[in-house]
Amino acid sequence: MSSQELPPGWEAQWHAEHQRYLFIEVETGQTQWEPPTQAYGDPESQGQHPPEGDLLSPGTPSHPAHAPKKRQYAAGQSQAYYGTPEPSYGDFGGGAAGGGYYGGGAPGPGPAGGAGGGFFTPGLAGEQQGFQQQQQQAPYYGQQPPAQPSPSGAGGAGWYGANPSYPSNPLAGPPGQETYGAAAPGAGYGQPGVGALADQFSQMGMGGQKPFALYTTNLLQTPPDPLDLMKPPPEIRLPPGASATNSPYANADPSYTRCTLNAIPTTSSLLSKCKVPLALVITPHRSVPSTATNADGEPLAGVDPADEPVPIITDQVIPRCRRCRAYINPYVIFIDGGSRWKCIMCNVSNEVPAEYDWDRTTNTQIDRWSRPELNRSVVEFVAPTEYMVRPPQPPVYVFLLDVSPAAVQSGMLATATRTILENLSRIPNTDGRTKVAVIGFDAALYFFSLTAPANPAAPSAAQDEGEDGENAEPQPPQEEPEPEINMMVVSDLDDVYLPRPNDLLVNLSESRKPLESLLERINDMFASAIGGIPPGMQGAPQGPSAMGPALQAGYKMISPIGGKLIVLSASLPTLGAGTLKDRDDPKLFGTTKESNLLQPAVPFYKTFAIDCSRSQVSVDMFLFSSGYQDIATLSGLPRYTAGQTYFYPAFNAARSEDAIKFAHEFGEVLASPIGLEAVIRVRASRGLRMTSFNGNFFVRSTDLLSLASVPVDQTYTMEVVIEENLSVPFVVFQTGVLHTSCFGERRIRVVTIALPTTSSISEMYASVDQVALATVLCQRAVERSISHKLEDARDAVTNKLIDIMTAYRSSMTAGGAGAASQLAIADNMKMLPVLMLGLLKNTGIRASSTIPSDLRAYAQALLTSLPPQMVIPYIHPNFYSLVDMAPEAGTVGEHGIIMPMPLPLTSERLVRHGLFLIEDGQSMFLWIGRDAVPQLVQDVFGVERYDLLQSGKITLPLLDNDFNQRINAIIAKTREMRRGPYWPHLYLVKEDGEPALRQWALSMLIQDRSDQTPSYQQYLALLRDKVNGSGY
Amino acid sequence: MNGAGWLFLFSVLLSAVLLFTMVFFIIMFSDLECDYINPIDLCTQLNRFVIPEYIAHGFLALIFLLSGQFMALALNLPLVAYNIRKVMAGGHVYDATEIFRTLPQHKKESFIKLGFYLLSFFYYLYRMIVALISESE
Repeated sequence: MSSQELPPGWEAQWHAEHQRYLFIEVETGQTQWEPPTQAYGDPESQGQHPPEGDLLSPGTPSHPAHAPKKRQYAAGQSQAYYGTPEPSYGDFGGGAAGGGYYGGGAPGPGPAGGAGGGFFTPGLAGEQQGFQQQQQQAPYYGQQPPAQPSPSGAGGAGWYGANPSYPSNPLAGPPGQETYGAAAPGAGYGQPGVGALADQFSQMGMGGQKPFALYTTNLLQTPPDPLDLMKPPPEIRLPPGASATNSPYANADPSYTRCTLNAIPTTSSLLSKCKVPLALVITPHRSVPSTATNADGEPLAGVDPADEPVPIITDQVIPRCRRCRAYINPYVIFIDGGSRWKCIMCNVSNEVPAEYDWDRTTNTQIDRWSRPELNRSVVEFVAPTEYMVRPPQPPVYVFLLDVSPAAVQSGMLATATRTILENLSRIPNTDGRTKVAVIGFDAALYFFSLTAPANPAAPSAAQDEGEDGENAEPQPPQEEPEPEINMMVVSDLDDVYLPRPNDLLVNLSESRKPLESLLERINDMFASAIGGIPPGMQGAPQGPSAMGPALQAGYKMISPIGGKLIVLSASLPTLGAGTLKDRDDPKLFGTTKESNLLQPAVPFYKTFAIDCSRSQVSVDMFLFSSGYQDIATLSGLPRYTAGQTYFYPAFNAARSEDAIKFAHEFGEVLASPIGLEAVIRVRASRGLRMTSFNGNFFVRSTDLLSLASVPVDQTYTMEVVIEENLSVPFVVFQTGVLHTSCFGERRIRVVTIALPTTSSISEMYASVDQVALATVLCQRAVERSISHKLEDARDAVTNKLIDIMTAYRSSMTAGGAGAASQLAIADNMKMLPVLMLGLLKNTGIRASSTIPSDLRAYAQALLTSLPPQMVIPYIHPNFYSLVDMAPEAGTVGEHGIIMPMPLPLTSERLVRHGLFLIEDGQSMFLWIGRDAVPQLVQDVFGVERYDLLQSGKITLPLLDNDFNQRINAIIAKTREMRRGPYWPHLYLVKEDGEPALRQWALSMLIQDRSDQTPSYQQYLALLRDKVNGSGY
Repeated sequence: MNGAGWLFLFSVLLSAVLLFTMVFFIIMFSDLECDYINPIDLCTQLNRFVIPEYIAHGFLALIFLLSGQFMALALNLPLVAYNIRKVMAGGHVYDATEIFRTLPQHKKESFIKLGFYLLSFFYYLYRMIVALISESE
């Protein structure tokens, strides 16, 4: 590194003894080993107290490249300064997920200001590692007691104080009760005095010095608090200076990667002793809002740094370790004066590529320490040609539409075509290469030739070749201005062929007109064929359906390119390949034979999935049947081709709610920026190996996951085995996703997470991430229910819980008198039993003889693919009381709409005059008591009396009163806060209304006893007996 | 050479073939683990041999039954029953989508079969020699 790279005022001096450069700031005489950075501030702020205004004003970033980072920083800062209360439960997905980054951004300002006086403490003077590092280390290692908290420090502490009950601040706050106690709700809302703040502040500093504090909770005396689920995962405490730049974003946000243990045991015997499975939960392709503002026009960037777009690196050379092939990341160590880097996973030293400090686009020197891949845990490299086997393919969408009478009459076809039509411009098509085709199927296959109207300026090649006489259909006259659609019927289902070689799959931009006119007319074409029954009537017989041949035709069409087949079907496939039988047998429900119904009936959908996976074809299924559709078999196809299954039981577009739900979800799926032709590989530090992968993909080799397309917000889990003892202070897991973006670029998304190692079992327990653990156990349970029996899966869940608790009891708690009346578990795992109870009561696993196997199979498909922020509410729904919610709930706060306090899931909380909302992310229930006052009914529903209310799917009217608007806001927020495409139905449940619906809503209150499943208290008693019985 | 001699000579050869099939299976599985072959190719290759292997083994048992070699038959019956059960349940086909999850089981099964064929190879050899000796006496 030469001296001219240094910021002004700095000098580099070769230090003979240490064989490296020493950096000196001439003015202050400050010295440091690390090259001074310009990344996080101006040179003058590097050694001095940062001028308050400088950090607070986001408008004057000195380096435009870092404007987004600065912006956030400032947002966090101003928040810290003004002590705005964080609207806690306001945002389960975003807020809790964002916690990680908040923690990154927020601790900076407060402590840095507060510790300003002791910034250059003598003990540290020799090791000045730059402003940023100081800023970061100050709070959590607590090396400098904050003597005189400056106003900014006080503000920072005030912010923590103002945090009601669960500060989403994993980095700065000490774990466990200390913080939560300090920032108890209520206490926070006012601005505490400076003295109290200083106390809190020092407490925080001290909390950092202690080893991981483990708090034991007696479950029998601690009712589960749903707020606990929204806490961020336990803090990841890396040793000081672990990352090269000490960026607050060096560790992946939990919404990208989380691990069941945030401290990795050093030996496998320690891991097996604690019984907690070590597994990673990765969501590499999580969605980010496309703009910096959400629908309400509020800036999102200030709300959640995790929602920021992933930085893209366009270098020609991607620095990778030559031995373990890991990508460069914030944890590498630069040696030899910065000319080589040492891989943190395998310790091999690698060359830093030439021009690493050079920006080719602007031809200027750039500061290495400001490079995104050294500062951010999630980055995307643009892959050079060696990562391609072929040029990036265009996104291809083939719609396989069921045009049978059942589909037409339920309105599915009309809704689907309208949705496609409306979303044509949302389909990723930035470079105008996207290709689209439509195939209809019922007893035969219908192909549509979508020739663009003759355009002398751009005669398409497809058109010319299309006239080779193979097709019997007449060509549309070339002069015809109005696009004409040729429909070709293929009724030979045994040997599917494409009636035309070229113009079935057309370019979306070029053939937009004919496509639009086809989509407008397709429903009428088939509706007129059946006639008689008006659309929207239920009870149309399930006609023959050639879904299998349609899939084969779609495959044939796009297999040279790869892409997405989107199947929309309202009936069981009954013709040609992949024929399924109605094997649903209510007599088997609840028996040991039930799991047979959850296994694929025919091998076709698996073998076809393998073919698809080979040709990079991914399949999404939208299923609408009113009768049995064998989702257990059909969902195998999306599962192994990295698609997703969507199920709309008894779909009827005449109900506007059904149509809206489907149109919204379908639209979101179409608009989502998918990745294509992807492989995922997770690398880890030496001694760790990934095994047993779960999720929607095809495992192509021992550790390589192949995905024909990467949908957004889908989660994969994998277990980690410790093969040799770990001797490093921290380990790194790196997920690499090589994919072709839908913008026609080959890219590699790299997500890095570093976790400390530990040899202490109490530290391991204190760092268990119960949300990740529950996600992993859900996937395990589903897998087991398919390979074994449902009953085995349930037993396995309970046994795992017992194992963990027994291990905890024997290693963490003192036995002796009174132990038998306790059920001890770490404080950060205390929601685990209720989550597992929720899993046992989930549709996918529950012991019941009334759940149709389609619903079960669909629930299982969801359990294995949803990301944590959606799977947790799916097993542990949210329950709000709307009549006595806090006055600010439902209004717009700092972070969007403020949600009411979630209640424990027990029907004790239901009152006869109340109005409650129960939601699990897939459906929502508005429960209204029979004694609801007419004013409430009038305000919320615009109906005069309770008796006039109709239970069932509803759309809440928008009325001109505050209460109604708040409830509408809460419902809207519930629908969008977890990212994914799902748009839950809203059901109105009357206390004395339709019993089935009431039963369904009440089954979400998982702490209650229902027919075959225990209540939470009973479940705990069972656990206690087992744990105490097997102890010692 | 009398009937029994020919019979056991044939079974020695057949069990040697089965032995090599198992060795082939095991090599393929370890290739998969070392990433030399992808699961799809592995499964298509192995599935070609599964049914012939079962048939060969079943045929061996059948000729023992027909020739009245009940001792040899009794040795082979458990495996025949196991194979039949597996085919009935549809579990004999190697499934590329699940192969990594079930690989340890498959390997174990192949090793056990390998051992069984090896032992039966020597048993048939012994019986062949006994038959030849009794003939020459």
